[in-house]
Amino acid sequence: MSISPSFFQVNPSSGVPIFRQIIDQVKALVAAGKLRSGDMLPSTRDVAKTLEVNMMTVSKAYSRLESDGVAERVRGLGMRICAVPISGAVAERKQKFKEIVSPAIHHARQLGLTDDQVLAVVNKILKDNV
Amino acid sequence: MNGPIIKCEQLGKRFGKLEVLRSVDLTIPQGAIVGLLGSNGSGKSTLIKCLLGLLRISSGTASVLDENPWDLSAAGKNRLGYVPQVVHLYPWMKVQQVVDYTSAFYERWDFKWTLEVMQMLEVDGSKWIKTLSTGQLQRLAIILAFGHRPDLLVLDEPAASLDPGGRRALMRSLLEMNRDQGQTVLFSTHITSDLERVASHVAILGNGLVEYFGEIDELKESVKRIRIQSDQDLPTQFTIPGILHSNVTGSTAVVSLAKCSDSLISDIEKQWSATVTVEDLNLEEIFLEMSDV
Repeated sequence: MSISPSFFQVNPSSGVPIFRQIIDQVKALVAAGKLRSGDMLPSTRDVAKTLEVNMMTVSKAYSRLESDGVAERVRGLGMRICAVPISGAVAERKQKFKEIVSPAIHHARQLGLTDDQVLAVVNKILKDNV
Repeated sequence: MNGPIIKCEQLGKRFGKLEVLRSVDLTIPQGAIVGLLGSNGSGKSTLIKCLLGLLRISSGTASVLDENPWDLSAAGKNRLGYVPQVVHLYPWMKVQQVVDYTSAFYERWDFKWTLEVMQMLEVDGSKWIKTLSTGQLQRLAIILAFGHRPDLLVLDEPAASLDPGGRRALMRSLLEMNRDQGQTVLFSTHITSDLERVASHVAILGNGLVEYFGEIDELKESVKRIRIQSDQDLPTQFTIPGILHSNVTGSTAVVSLAKCSDSLISDIEKQWSATVTVEDLNLEEIFLEMSDV
């Protein structure tokens, strides 16, 4: 699968450089599971044309994604999303996950959900995301 | 050609006793889209005219397309496109006549492309020049500068009298030429939002020299405004490297920095036992922070 260049949205007048906005969006799409390993990114030319930005800006974003290990350059084809490498000790990764989940649990309590109800939701998400 | 498209060293220009450009150093690589920023009277138009051979430089050196701009060959002029700030055309001609007349001066005029740009900028060939508004004249000047697909395009405030639609069409065609043929562009402007989208590089002119030249992304990543909140009163005069402006009130300070980095932030946090928040700035804010005001 490859995504359409219109998946990206940039705000040129924000303080965040445009190439960084593109990097962040690719990473967010990967994190949300909308881009999976093996998916192709649109060509720098198409992205530059669609977003009406300088092509060098898009090339720069893609080069950074490559050096960050998010995507890889495939000759003649373009940029392909890499498999997400698992790094760090289990304890470390658990800690990271805890930081993400804690605010969600807090919200759940505010919504008046019981622990069982929270667990049911989590189990459902785990099942749906195999 | 791999050398720089434009290169000047210690370029100076004076009009009698008035020194407008003191010592301009600027090297523009091929394929760059450079936005030239500077406050009113900083010498943007003067620099552009020096680079085009419309004004003779007083000191230093300048080279454009590997030639001395004052002595440009016909071949060099064929590779150059210029949109002046004030457009003077022949009032007794029609738009299409001016286009045809201009095309005769160039060896490689691209009629198909010219028609495309005319449509993109919504210029009507059957109109009389004398009936055109300032903005329509500017649009026509852009078409005349684009028609021969120059390797170097120089525009002096091309967006000044264009409406938002016209500006967008101009930026789109600049990007298209840059994508298709790696054309180099130098344009002066006050509209920083156009520049943010299109430019690869920014040159900031002030005090008779180029105060900054570099990639726009690097500029945006290095110039930041930080808020320092300390548990003690801060001195009114900070000594932080690369400080542009600072405003201290008691134990809090708002400081803009030319070269912000993580290590610099942690140094400040340590030195003042403070918490520091970093704020991203857009190009307009950066330009204001870097000006003397």
